[in-house]
This record gives sequence, C-alpha cells and structure tokens, in this order.
Amino acid sequence: MQQVKDIVVVGGGTAGWMAAAAFAKVLGTQAHTITLVESEEIGTVGVGEATIPPIMQYNTLLGIDEDEFVRETNATFKLGIEFIDWRKRGSSYFHPFGMFGANIKGGVGFMNYWLRWVQSGGDPDFTHFVAEGEAAREGRFARVPASPDGQLPRLNYAYQFDAATYAAYLRRYAERRGVIRREGRVVDVEQNPQSGYIEAVKLADGTRVAGDFFIDCSGFRALLIEGVFKAGFDDWSHWLPNNRAVAVPCERVEDPTPFTRSTAREAGWQWRIPLQHRTGNGYVFCDSYLSEDEASRLLLERLDGKPLTDPKILRFTAGKRRLGWVKNCLAVGLSSGFLEPLESTSIHLIQMAIMKLFEFFPLRDVSPVLIDMYNREMDALYDHLRDFIIGHYKVTERDDTPYWRYCRSMTVPDSLRLKLELFSERGEARVLPMDLFGETSWFAVLHGQGLIPRSYHPIANTLSEDELQLAVAGIRTAIRRRVDSLPPHADFLERCCAARPAATAP
Amino acid sequence: MSRRIEQVVVVGADAPAWMAAAALRQSVSAAGIRVRVIELPTLLQPADVYSALPELAGFHHRIGLDESLLFSLCKAVPMAGQRFSNWSGAGPPFIQGYDRPPPVAAGLAFTQLWIKGRQKGLRTDFENFSLAAMAAKAGRVPVPTQDVELRSTFGYNIDAAAYSALLRNFVTRGGVETKMAGIAELELDGDRIAALLLADGERVEADLFVDASGPQAALISRMPGTELDSWREWLPCDRMLVASAKALKPLPAFGQISAFRQGWVGLFPLQDRTAVVAAYDSRQISDQDVVDSLPALANVPISGDAVVSSLTQGIRKRTWVGNCVAVGESAFSLEPLDAVQLHITHYCISQFMTLFPVDASAFREAELYDRIIRRAAVNLRDFQFAHYKLNRRFDTPLWDGCRELAPPETLQRKLDLFAARGRIPLYDDETFQEQAWESLFIGHGLMPQSYDPRVDAVPEQEHIAQVQARLNDIVGQVEGMAPVDEFIAGVNSEQLQRLKPLDEDVRHLPTRTMTENMGAD
Repeated sequence: MQQVKDIVVVGGGTAGWMAAAAFAKVLGTQAHTITLVESEEIGTVGVGEATIPPIMQYNTLLGIDEDEFVRETNATFKLGIEFIDWRKRGSSYFHPFGMFGANIKGGVGFMNYWLRWVQSGGDPDFTHFVAEGEAAREGRFARVPASPDGQLPRLNYAYQFDAATYAAYLRRYAERRGVIRREGRVVDVEQNPQSGYIEAVKLADGTRVAGDFFIDCSGFRALLIEGVFKAGFDDWSHWLPNNRAVAVPCERVEDPTPFTRSTAREAGWQWRIPLQHRTGNGYVFCDSYLSEDEASRLLLERLDGKPLTDPKILRFTAGKRRLGWVKNCLAVGLSSGFLEPLESTSIHLIQMAIMKLFEFFPLRDVSPVLIDMYNREMDALYDHLRDFIIGHYKVTERDDTPYWRYCRSMTVPDSLRLKLELFSERGEARVLPMDLFGETSWFAVLHGQGLIPRSYHPIANTLSEDELQLAVAGIRTAIRRRVDSLPPHADFLERCCAARPAATAP
Repeated sequence: MSRRIEQVVVVGADAPAWMAAAALRQSVSAAGIRVRVIELPTLLQPADVYSALPELAGFHHRIGLDESLLFSLCKAVPMAGQRFSNWSGAGPPFIQGYDRPPPVAAGLAFTQLWIKGRQKGLRTDFENFSLAAMAAKAGRVPVPTQDVELRSTFGYNIDAAAYSALLRNFVTRGGVETKMAGIAELELDGDRIAALLLADGERVEADLFVDASGPQAALISRMPGTELDSWREWLPCDRMLVASAKALKPLPAFGQISAFRQGWVGLFPLQDRTAVVAAYDSRQISDQDVVDSLPALANVPISGDAVVSSLTQGIRKRTWVGNCVAVGESAFSLEPLDAVQLHITHYCISQFMTLFPVDASAFREAELYDRIIRRAAVNLRDFQFAHYKLNRRFDTPLWDGCRELAPPETLQRKLDLFAARGRIPLYDDETFQEQAWESLFIGHGLMPQSYDPRVDAVPEQEHIAQVQARLNDIVGQVEGMAPVDEFIAGVNSEQLQRLKPLDEDVRHLPTRTMTENMGAD
C-alpha cells in the first residue's frame, strides 16, 4: 500500500474544520493534499458550545492567538458549570475546573480534610474552597497563573463560544493554508474491490473526490464508518435516555456569566451558555416523557431574554460507534458517537480523535495494530465520559416525575457502580493520572448530587483540631485574595477580547 | 455495624516489614491506630543486596528517614542505571538509565527524531541521547539541573542487612511495639483472621493484619483462595545465588547484568564490596555448577560463600482477603532484575496507605487494591519478560524458548505498536514510563519501522541541529556531575533533600488539574 498522501474530510461543521485545520498545520499541504467536502444544504448541528480546558492544547497546536479567537467567535470565559435543581428542587452546586483546596501534609487529598471539617461543623459549601467556584459566583475573571510563591492559585478556564463561527474561523485558517473545500453532497462511495479500502467519494454533481485516507465528519448519518463499513453502534439509551434537544438563542440581558448553567427540568435539563452577543439555550430531554412541542414551549417560557430565532429540534441516540477507525476511514465527531453536552465534552471528543490520529498516523501502511490501539483508547475515553455523565442522573434525590424516578433506579455500568460504592464509603473517586475528569470533578458532582461519604481517609484525623482549622482557614484566605484580585468578567472581556460588532450574527 | 480500625499487626521480616510499619506509624498512629510488628526470622544472607529505584527516595522522605544514613550506614552506592550485556548475541551492551520523563507536551518526542535520523543514516546510538546512560558510562551521578527537558536521577544499591537494621531501629525508636516470634497457627473465622497463635503461646488479635513476610507469604497463603499463579511460563529462572566480591575501584554508576547460557549474573557495586547475584534455570544447570563457574561468569574473584535459594515468580490469586492484606513479595514476586524487588514492597504499601480501610467490619477497599496491584504486577512482569523475549542468543534452549514464546497480550501490544510506530502504549498502574520501555526495546535491538509523521515537517537542517543540540546538552550536563566516589564522600542530608524531586513517590495524589494533564502549562 502506498504512502498516505491525500486526505479527504467528508463533512464540515466543527468536526470537519477542526480536523482539516489540524491536518493543515501538522502535516501541511506540501506533501499532502487535504480536501474537505461539505454541503450548504445540510445544516450543521452547532447550537452554542461550552468547552473544557484541554481545548487550549488544540488552539496552541494550531498557533491560534487566544484574544483573536475569543473576539472572532464571540466567546466568553468559562470557569465551570453550575448545576441547579439536580440534587433536588431548590439545590445548586458548582463543578469547577481546577483543584479542590490545596495539598495539606499527609499525602491524602484535601477532600478528606474537608469532609472531616464539615463533620465537625464546618461550612458544607464546597465552592468556597475552589478559586474558580468563588470567582464564578462573583462573576469575576482574569487570566492569572499561580503566584510565584505558590500562595495564590491559578485560575483554570475554558471558553463558551458560537460553534458556527468557530467552524468558520477554522475554515478560514485551513483554506489559508491550502486546504481545498469542495461544495457538494456525497451520494456514493467507491471501494477497492480487493481490500475494501475507500478510494473515492462521489458527489451529487458527478464530481469524484479520490483519497488515501478519509475522515468521516458526516454527523449522525455516519456515511462512511457506518454506511460503508457497518462498524455498528453501542446504544446507551438505557443509561442515558435523553434523545432530543430543542435549542434557541436569546437576547443578552445582563453581563455574561463566566460559567455555563445546567438546570434540571421535568424530563431532562436546560442549558444556558452566555456568549458576548447573545445567550445560547437548550432543553435536552427524553421524548418518552415529554413531547417536542411541549419541550419547545417550556424552553421559550423559561428564557431570560427574547428569543432570536425559532427553536430548532435535534434528535439523537446516546452511544458510541463500535469501531472509530476501520481500514482507511476514521470517524470524528457525531459519526463516532454521541454524549449529551452535560459536561461540555463534544468538542473534546473531536479534539481527542484528531490528536490520537496524529499519534497513530500511518506513514505507509495502515496497520491493524495501530487501528486496534486507537479504537481501544477512544473506547476507554468514551466509557470514562459516559460514566461521569450517568453519575449526574443516577445520584439524585429527585423523584417528582416519572423521568427522575427512572433515572434514580436504573442500573448503571459496573465501572460506575464501583466508583459510586467507593465514594459512598470514603469520599474517594479512584482516578487514573490521564483521566479527563479528576478527583475534584468527581467530588464536586457526586457530593453536589447528594452522595455524602460515610467516612474519609483516616490520615485526615492525624491533624489536631487547631492544625485543621488553621489549614482550612489558610486555604480559604488564599482563595479570597485571589478572587478579590480579579476584575468583573465583562470588564476583562471588554479590555482584551471584545467581539467587533461585525462579528455578531444571529 | 461499621467500626473504625484500632489495631494493625504487621507480620514479616527485614525491609518489607519495617517499611510497612514505618509507613503506618507515620500516617495513622497519630489518629490513634495502634501498630504492632510480629517479627519473623530474617531471610537475609550477609551477601544480600537491595537494588532500589529512584522512587524509593520519596518513600524515605514520607516516613522521615534521613537518606544520608544509607550512605553512612548501608554502604549505598548511587546508580544511574543498569548495563545489559550478552543478551543480544553480537549486539553491543546497552544501558537502561533512570531518565525522568520529559514534561507532558503536545510536541514531538525526541525518540521520533532519532528513529527517522537512524533511517536516514544517523549512526549515533540511542543510548547517547539518554542523559542517565551517558552519566552512567562516565561514572557520574545525575543530579537535577534547570533543564526541564533533559532530566535524570539516581537509584541506589544498598546492603540489605544494614538497611533492614536501619529501618528496624527507626521503627522501634519511634515507639512501635515489636516482638520476635514464629507463627504456630492462624485461627480463621471464615474469610478473616480471628487471631494469630504464636509459637510461644501468645494469641494475637487485631482488626487488620499486614503480611509483609516476603515470598513465604506466612499469612496470605493460609487464607482461602490465595494460591500462587505462577509466571514460570515466561520468567524461566527458578534459582538464585548471592555472593560477594571485592569492591570495584573506581565505583561505577551502574549495575552490570550479563546473560549466560542458563541465566544471568549481576554485579551490584556497594561501597565496601560488590554483590554478585545470579539467576538461573535449574532445569539447565545445577546449583553446584553455577557456584563453580561463578568467578568466570561474573569475571571477578568471589570472596566467601555463595548462598542459593529458590525463586518463585508469580502472583497470589487474591492479595487482600478479609482482614489480611499482602504487601510486597507476599503479594507477588519477580526476578531480582530491574531493581523491582524493593519497589514491589514500596508500591504495595503506597497503594495500601491510600486505601487504608475505614471500616473494620467490611473491607470494601480490598477489591480495588487487588485490581491495582494485579495491574502493576503484570506491567512489571512484562518489563522483565521483555528482556527475555527480545534476547538474541542462539546458544541454548532457554534463550530460544523465551524468544519463541508468545508473550502475554499486554506485552505483545507494546511490542507491536513500538515495532510499527515507535510508540509505547502505557496501561494503568505502570511503574516504568515511556523512556524506560524505549531504552529497553531499542537496547535489545527492536527498531521501529516508522515514526510520527510530524517529524517530516521538521526541515532537515533543523532536525540535525536538534540532534546535535541534545548531544551537546548531555555532554555539558555530564561534565558538571560528580564522579561516584566524590559524590559519596560529599553526601549530607540537606544536599540529598534538595536533589531528589519529591514527585517520585508512587502515592497516588489528586494533584493534577485537567489543564495540567493536557500539558497546557
């Protein structure tokens, strides 16, 4: 088999242009051709996205300037997600980026000391011990590293942006670097009769686009990975029953908050993602419990500003493609699987698929060994994210509707069940070094959802009462000092990366 | 009815028992948990040596042991790595050094540059690009500098009996109650140890028993369902011999592991002698023949007696049953290769401390501990077996057999991916990181067919410049390092504290944020 030289990306949107832009940067268009095929006819899904910190690695790889990127995509900064009514009606908790507390001596996580402190009467609001949480609560933000003496923590953050303009931004980037864009709808696929490898895709107007390697960014249709290679799909709807989303942007009515809000509703949850020029909203739900019309009506009723378009409905099934890479075809984005955007993981999955492809990129032959490792690693990532999301549903005190009664009582994957048991026992969520969601995330969510550990690591008992109070107070003070040093989020945006008026679009 | 742990009894001898007791005393005694040691007869011979990975420094720091004592009391010699010779037939010896992993980054690993360079005619061996290996070759001790990319550290060889005595002293002075005794019987109550019956008649009860008795597994082996799963199918040596030779002058910065027809013999320099360790297959050669040919095999005259014992590589089917947890070689054991012996104990203790049980009526942590230990054990076993699998000796059935054996799937995947692409997939609970596996594979002659295509985007001039720069950086750093003898002479506590970065401890801590994990710093 010859060297992989011609790469064809089937489908645009965030997935397609993230892939094309990354190829353009990393492989270049001297030794390779990179072609992206997309159709204006086919709408792309983007409904206003929130992201998580690893996206900075992608932007850095491309050499993208952060301020320019924030301006061009009407972005705001995100310190975490606020979860309202998830534990029970009237409750709220914050899932921050960043670390819970700080390392006290003894070598066990801060959560153990905090649990002991709460048990002896301390404030059970965990947000006071995470800089990102306090900053979010007060609407403050700035880019700050940890102070050189290690006393003040850094602020970890990600972005909230308009996915359509991000895709457009990346398209400009990619085309400037020699990526060829072809307009058209794929209607047929040519395969090599012996090997089964895809040789070309044919467009509605008869054009033939040939290639050595194909990236399937065709969304839920999964034209190549499923349409041609029948990779199969693991349906996860018994664990994640939501199968619809209705989305609508509305007018901005206040300064944008530096966090995403997720509010649990009667048959799902509602997102609120503040951008510079408007607010993105959506209701993710399960149509066995609520009709599309009813969901749209409820969403519109609950907006805090005037809607700017008609609501749009998306239909999906939670799950993952059994194989993300088959022969010379790699699925990126929705074609590889879908998890609801509860923890802003969609773009991350795109990014990881692309980055992993680089790690395994075939120079000459497409080797079964590489494909197998890639698929295993992506599987593990999907499973990890899936478990984290299911945790939000399983661990709830809500039982006010049939939907929540289902969620509370459903069985969950063993991997999650073991985590929940361990957490319930001792407040620990065993995480591995490269897991995306670490101890702080699991603690914030499980504790916030109402799973209060029976106990904590005995080493946390080795501090005297005084030492404990002192340590806890010290951390709180440091966080307060950090947060006090921050300007309001809106001011920071204004100073550094205000979107130009021309960039605003409905 | 849940209740807290109040009393822990450690059963064992030598370093493992004292390490467990020290860790417990330092961590949980202040919480009111009583720790007691039942000391079994020592298994150590005067000639025994412990070879330690750099990570052990983290353990010493955690328990508050002054490492300069290793040099003043335990004849310690710092080791930058190990040198493997005669494993590859006509191939040259190679050094596996203790390079520290470069920071996690989105950029190109240097190894990829080397692979392409090699394909384009670069003659310089991979080893020359390892700071630790070059330090070892020059007889110098790596110490941390400002360089973030190129970092190396040192492990050490220590006299086993002296080290055990040091730790014993440390623990007993700290107030831990100790009794020398033999165990007559275990009183079991289903899955739990109700009590130990000692040879002198005392009945010892506790909430938790820690089996730190080494391969004899005095407690865990008597619990239900804990038979040993043998790894003899892969690791062929079932006998071990220990002897002493004169001290080497000047002291080298590496241990030397030479393969011979029926096994391997290692020289482990100490300050006042050189420990000689041989591992071999009793089906191929008798104990007596090894003793007789030892001076020739080791290439040094042997002083004193050689002592032989058996090696049983394998893992218990269960490492934590009821109120009995196995730490160290009572849980699993391997060959005395790659400095893993003490590390096995260190690792188990760290994981155990992280999962120290909260409820004496139901040890829910057991299952997780067992899974973690099992994964770590498999990874270590694969690392050792890789030496055998990749051997290129064609002289005896032992070596042919190992080479032709289908390796465990976990190792096969590493070999396949590295051969295809120069990349090492790491699993959960790995001791050795990419650079250790790379130097092992490449050292034994496994050359990848392909490399990361991002290397092709680097212009040739720049590629050459980077290769050259790395060589120069290494030469520069090595020049600034002290030779081993000088290092030992100048050792003091403060200096050692400063030298060893503390993240070497294997304890699993939730310290990294998402951003840090992705290297966005």
